[in-house]
Amino acid sequence: MAWMNFRSLCISLAILFTFILFISIAMLFVIPHPSEIVNSVESKEMIYSLKLSLITASLSTFLVVVFSVPIGYALSRFTFPGKSVVRSILDLPMAFPEIVLGLALLLLFGETLIGRVLANIGISVAFTKLGIIVAQFFTALPYSIRIIYSAFEGVSRRYELVSRSLAYTEFETFRKITLPLAKNGVFASMIISFARCMGAFGAVLILAGGSYMSTEILPITLYLNISYGNIGMAITSGIVLVIISFIAILVFEELEGGKWHY
Amino acid sequence: MALLEVKEINIDLGEFNLKNISLKVERRDYITIIGPTGSGKTLLIETVAGFYRPASGRILLNNIDITEFPPEKRGMSIVYQDYMLFPHMNIYDNIAYGLRKKTRDKNEIKREVEHISEVLRISHLLYRMPLTLSGGEQQRVAIARALVVKPKLLLMDEPFSALDVKTKEDIRSLVKKAVREYEAAVLHITHDFEDVFTLANKVIVMKNGMLLQTGSPEDVFSRPVENFVADFVGTNVLDCRVMGSMQNLTVLKCGEVTIYTADKAEGRVKVSVRPEEIIVSANPIKTSARNMFKGSIIEMSKRGQMIWLFINAGIMLKVVITPSSAEALGISEKKEVYVMFKAAAVKVIK
Repeated sequence: MAWMNFRSLCISLAILFTFILFISIAMLFVIPHPSEIVNSVESKEMIYSLKLSLITASLSTFLVVVFSVPIGYALSRFTFPGKSVVRSILDLPMAFPEIVLGLALLLLFGETLIGRVLANIGISVAFTKLGIIVAQFFTALPYSIRIIYSAFEGVSRRYELVSRSLAYTEFETFRKITLPLAKNGVFASMIISFARCMGAFGAVLILAGGSYMSTEILPITLYLNISYGNIGMAITSGIVLVIISFIAILVFEELEGGKWHY
Repeated sequence: MALLEVKEINIDLGEFNLKNISLKVERRDYITIIGPTGSGKTLLIETVAGFYRPASGRILLNNIDITEFPPEKRGMSIVYQDYMLFPHMNIYDNIAYGLRKKTRDKNEIKREVEHISEVLRISHLLYRMPLTLSGGEQQRVAIARALVVKPKLLLMDEPFSALDVKTKEDIRSLVKKAVREYEAAVLHITHDFEDVFTLANKVIVMKNGMLLQTGSPEDVFSRPVENFVADFVGTNVLDCRVMGSMQNLTVLKCGEVTIYTADKAEGRVKVSVRPEEIIVSANPIKTSARNMFKGSIIEMSKRGQMIWLFINAGIMLKVVITPSSAEALGISEKKEVYVMFKAAAVKVIK
């Protein structure tokens, strides 16, 4: 039993797992008939879902980056009371079941004071397209903050000190020195956020309620069509999602290399 | 009125701290700060620059209390050991960075950048990116960037310690010239006593966040106030007169004795001979050392691992030897010995 030593066991597990994963992804592309995919892509539902996904994910990504840049900077550069609490709460959604996050958001924007105040000024979040964006935003934000935080950590404070001593204020220094030096991290967080937003499912389903041709984004399309037994449509949305995440990972690797640690 | 006055500042960052530091910097002062690692030297200049707020004490610049001023309102520039050139800008933009905050006149900016580049001999590098430059080039750019805004005070944190010996010498003379032309007062942290002797008119010795001694280099080096300062800087400073030259050496008359030095000098000078460069022997021996005298041991004391001797050889010399060589030579007070040192060990200070 010489082949069953610890070392070959570990290596074979790694290879086996990769193989199964690869095969299962390949199944997406192999099982359906090409004409089935073409028909599905051209269907009204798919076009609607793809469009809505791209629009909501783009908007959410924009919002996520707009928020995570200052938050990441604050966590990296400043000390303030309660900083460690803020940090763990911001990290929480990463370990939190997405579906529970959706429920929590639904409760917040439903029958609470905040929900009613928003409703009074004509903003409803629950079971609307806005709900999709809110759900995607909260799903992606912690990841984005992490990446941007580590990008800022990678910029030596001394650059900022030199800039400050040359008469630039804190904000000017941020704009001219820190942000340009952290720009790869900001791009990387943009990519990851976009991928997270495109793939967000649980939170979106609960908060925006995945209804047909209304709050239907790609993961919802996959889910709805599986329930109807419409395998072609389900697989097609799966394929589109996989392609998007592959592109995201490639771009991310290109930008960040091995700098991203968890 | 002093240019900068630091009054009893205290600050505690845990690992580093400053305890009751007071000091004055006059216009045109070139002050070097020396002290072991962790003594708070960097914290001191970063506090002066406004990166840290002292827990107590005041900082005055031209008699104005700037303790609460942010760094951008202080008119001080800083140069670090690792250059800190902005990697996303070319050399021209790095140097022009601070100027752009002072004026919008593009021609004036260009003129100023070109002028300082000539002074520091980096004109040929203006359109390169920082990471393509050598260490010495990068440091000249960093100094140009700091000086071109005509700071009242230039702060430097071991600016030359990453450079090789030859580059160091070149850059030292460039800095001396540039600082004079731009009329900046300087606070310069260093580990290299060469910097102290060639650049500074004052020296500050720090340890454990405290300021142990301030004075002219000759004073501090020849009359250290505490054992620590003596151990750290203690060198022999001798008053001499240049008598002439012989072969490639300069002949000096120091008190009763004649000393040869490899340095060039004229008139009245002070020279330094470091205690560890002096060899002690029981009998006269033939060596390559040009300077040899007979003397007697006035005092011997053990400090740390080493033994310090005060020898009267027509001049008073401090010498440091190991306990084992003291034993081998049978050294005791009042004993007669021979001391010798090379001409190259005799450094002209001023």
